[in-house]
Amino acid sequence: MKRFLRRNAAGYVFLTPWFLGFFLLALGPILASLYLSFTRYDMIGAPRWDGLGNYEYMFTRDRRFWKALTVTFSYVALAVPARLIMALGVAMLLDKGLRSISFYRAIFYLPSLLGASIAIAILWRQLFELDGVVNDVLALFGIQGAAWISNPDTSLYTLVVLAMWQFGSPMLIFLAGLRGIPKDLYEAAEIDGTSKRRQFFRITMPLLAPVIFFNLVLQTIEAFKTFSSAFIISDGTGAPADSLLFYTVFLFNEAFKFFRMGYASALAWVLLLIIGFFTAITFLTSKYWVHYENERD
Amino acid sequence: MKTNATDMPDQNTALALKAARKKREARSRIYKHIFLLLVSVIMLYPLAWLFAASLKPENEIFNSIGLWPSEFKWDNYTEGWNALPLSFTVFYKNSTIVTLLSVIGNLLSCSFAAYAFARLRFTGKNLFFGLMMMTLMIPYHVVLIPQYVLFLKLGWVDTYLPLIVPRFLASDAFFIFLMVQFFRQLPRELDEAAMIDGCSPYKIFWVIILPLSLPAMGTAAIFSLIWVWEDFLAPLIYLNDIQSYTVPLALRLFLDQEGQSAYGQMFAMSVLSLVPVIIFFAAFQKLIVRGIATSGMK
Amino acid sequence: MAGLTLRNVGKSYGKVTVMSDLNLDIHDGEFLVLVGPSGCGKSTLLRMIAGLEEITDGTVQIGERVVNDLNASKRDLSMVFQSYALYPHMSVRKNLAFGLQNMKMSKVEIARRVDEAAQILQIEELMDRKPRQLSGGQKQRVAIGRSIVREPSLFLFDEPLSNLDAELRVQMRVELASLYNKLGTTMIYVTHDQVEAMTMASRIVVLRKGKIEQVGTPQELYTRPENLFVAGFIGSPKINMFSAKAVPNAGGATLDLADFPAFDVAGLQAAQEDVTVCVRPEAFTLGGGEIRTTGTILLVEYLGSEALLHTQTKSGATSLLQTSGQHDYAKGQEIEFGFGPADLHVFGADGNRIEITQTEGGA
Repeated sequence: MKRFLRRNAAGYVFLTPWFLGFFLLALGPILASLYLSFTRYDMIGAPRWDGLGNYEYMFTRDRRFWKALTVTFSYVALAVPARLIMALGVAMLLDKGLRSISFYRAIFYLPSLLGASIAIAILWRQLFELDGVVNDVLALFGIQGAAWISNPDTSLYTLVVLAMWQFGSPMLIFLAGLRGIPKDLYEAAEIDGTSKRRQFFRITMPLLAPVIFFNLVLQTIEAFKTFSSAFIISDGTGAPADSLLFYTVFLFNEAFKFFRMGYASALAWVLLLIIGFFTAITFLTSKYWVHYENERD
Repeated sequence: MKTNATDMPDQNTALALKAARKKREARSRIYKHIFLLLVSVIMLYPLAWLFAASLKPENEIFNSIGLWPSEFKWDNYTEGWNALPLSFTVFYKNSTIVTLLSVIGNLLSCSFAAYAFARLRFTGKNLFFGLMMMTLMIPYHVVLIPQYVLFLKLGWVDTYLPLIVPRFLASDAFFIFLMVQFFRQLPRELDEAAMIDGCSPYKIFWVIILPLSLPAMGTAAIFSLIWVWEDFLAPLIYLNDIQSYTVPLALRLFLDQEGQSAYGQMFAMSVLSLVPVIIFFAAFQKLIVRGIATSGMK
Repeated sequence: MAGLTLRNVGKSYGKVTVMSDLNLDIHDGEFLVLVGPSGCGKSTLLRMIAGLEEITDGTVQIGERVVNDLNASKRDLSMVFQSYALYPHMSVRKNLAFGLQNMKMSKVEIARRVDEAAQILQIEELMDRKPRQLSGGQKQRVAIGRSIVREPSLFLFDEPLSNLDAELRVQMRVELASLYNKLGTTMIYVTHDQVEAMTMASRIVVLRKGKIEQVGTPQELYTRPENLFVAGFIGSPKINMFSAKAVPNAGGATLDLADFPAFDVAGLQAAQEDVTVCVRPEAFTLGGGEIRTTGTILLVEYLGSEALLHTQTKSGATSLLQTSGQHDYAKGQEIEFGFGPADLHVFGADGNRIEITQTEGGA
């Protein structure tokens, strides 16, 4: 026992804050919300056991749940590839020996830092109004503008554009990844007369696959978590016509507007399972398409 | 062995080819710059527009893509500062308190945890490290409700404790991961030399690891500062009294008053809310970029 | 000063055992070198002595104390690391003083010891620099300085010279040897370089796969390797190995090497048929020797005072000869060479040395 303590004490001491945080703020709440998801709970009385009632209601009767899923999945499916392609494209342009790289890098990264702020969400709302700047710019090219945000058919795209605007952080990770590819591989390919196109698919892509994979997982999770901008742009409700009813916004309203805590907990657990599922899928399939140069660190 | 006569043309064509390639490369570099500049303009235009709009008279803000205001309406800033029931002085003070305490909490608790994971040996380390990495994936929304119930029972709602205390408990695993990555790059022999020199693991942390990790600490401090400053969801849930509002919550109040058409003032305050972020970004750009590269995140 | 006793020492990581039942006595005041190929466990053993690795089995005793459960800093030893491990954010002076300050030593005593070490190592003018402002050799001196200010009863060195370039390595080797002569403290030195081991050690421990292959003075290891591994590991250029048949006879055994005429070795206690006969390259005599053969030179490596001849004999095997560099040899040249019965080492199929009980007897 004494020997055990001597060997382990320091580690546990340093980890104490994390232990407290993990059990009180992560693991405990996750289990608690699992329990709550089987109850009806309005925060006034005690939670009342309701079995699978919440889940039954969610999957069979709640149209808004399905709407929220549709909105969120559409957003993820559009925003993640758009942002990653943008990030990879610009990263490859920047990687090839430009001297002014740090200038561009700074400009492209800035929106990623600002993007989560309320100020930008407010700005975005105004940019895409009927009398907003986007329409003014389009008018220059003779294109008839529209009320992009108040039209349920287009409102989601304004958020996809916002996501693309924030391509900076995956771009930086791609840049670091591209730096890690030995330059002599390209020189060797050059000498062998390999075309640029082939170099991209045969050298860049396979060696960058771990980074792409990493970005994909991270960005997908980030996209599922989107809240502030959707909340502000949709006036906190998911309007117009629930076209911006992001899952997180839906969950927030169920919990803190209607105080259906039990139902919201069920929603939270479904979100956890969805994200867990996507993470697991990407990890399980990664071995088929990801080539790690060093299996060990 | 070739004679000089046959050598010469070879050399000339080689030189010509090289010159042509140089020219081609120069031209493609110019195209690249034009393209990148174009992207930069598109990226910066919304920000520039926001700044311009904050200085424009109300009737010029919309229906004009031009950036230059006909008159500079600095009043937007002074009036905007006091446009809400409470002055922005209060909101900035609130945001500053929350941000500073949160940053300190993040740095301390996360560097402790990171040191344990990166450097110390203890039973269950791999298990805990895995759990820590899993919490990276968990959306805040999943733990939101039980956390809210917990803090409500503790009587912490409408105080800053729900915003600050979690940060002292290493709740943001991203920073732990960032620091673990950095600590692992420091040679382990330094710790061992210090052990032989009579340092306990605690002293090694304070005297060796921390002083050598200032860049990582700086990166973490800047990221955490910016994120806490911009944080919206947690203040939205836990702060109900306008007295305790942070800047993002105050900005949202402008939206609720929309009928009064105070766009210039709203934009002015929006610009001000971004200023600290932009200043820190400009000052610590290198650290931020390196931080992302080492952690491979955000 | 102190000797060191290792009894049944073992090390495992989880279920993987890398060392077991290792016994070793290190005498007070000796310069002991642990040598072996990478992965042989020499560094692990050193780190277990230092207190940087847990000792899974057995006991390590420094002087009279069993130190298994003692912290590294309480074991009264110091260590020089391969990467020097100087604290990058402290000046040289602070690097030297750091350990002493942790011992709560008086300022006067710390200053005395630091200055003395600086003088011995001639680093006085570097004292206010940071490690990144030092050259490799200077860092090495500071690292040694940091270990001598502690005035420990035991010095540990973990491949301290392997990061230096060849010239500096030779120079530091000499300095380390003279430091040892001056201090007379027990030193344990890990290296994979057998030249370092041979030149510095009072005794050498050859390790392989966590086992001790042989312990002895450099001369003993060179002249009487106890097994095939040690024979091959110690000595540069590498020893020649020939497989041979041994047929016992009245006075010893007859050895039949493919490329040499069969000969009798009196007193050879070969109980087995398949043996390996080893001859050092410098034991061959060109145009002489009792047991002779001829071969063709494949390659000449000219080293100045001597030359190495890679020679192919009729079976296709190659032999390495070391000879004086005064003569010219050419590739393809036919040469005759041989050795005497006293020059050979014989090892059985299990790799262990087969003794020759009587050195002379007349064939």
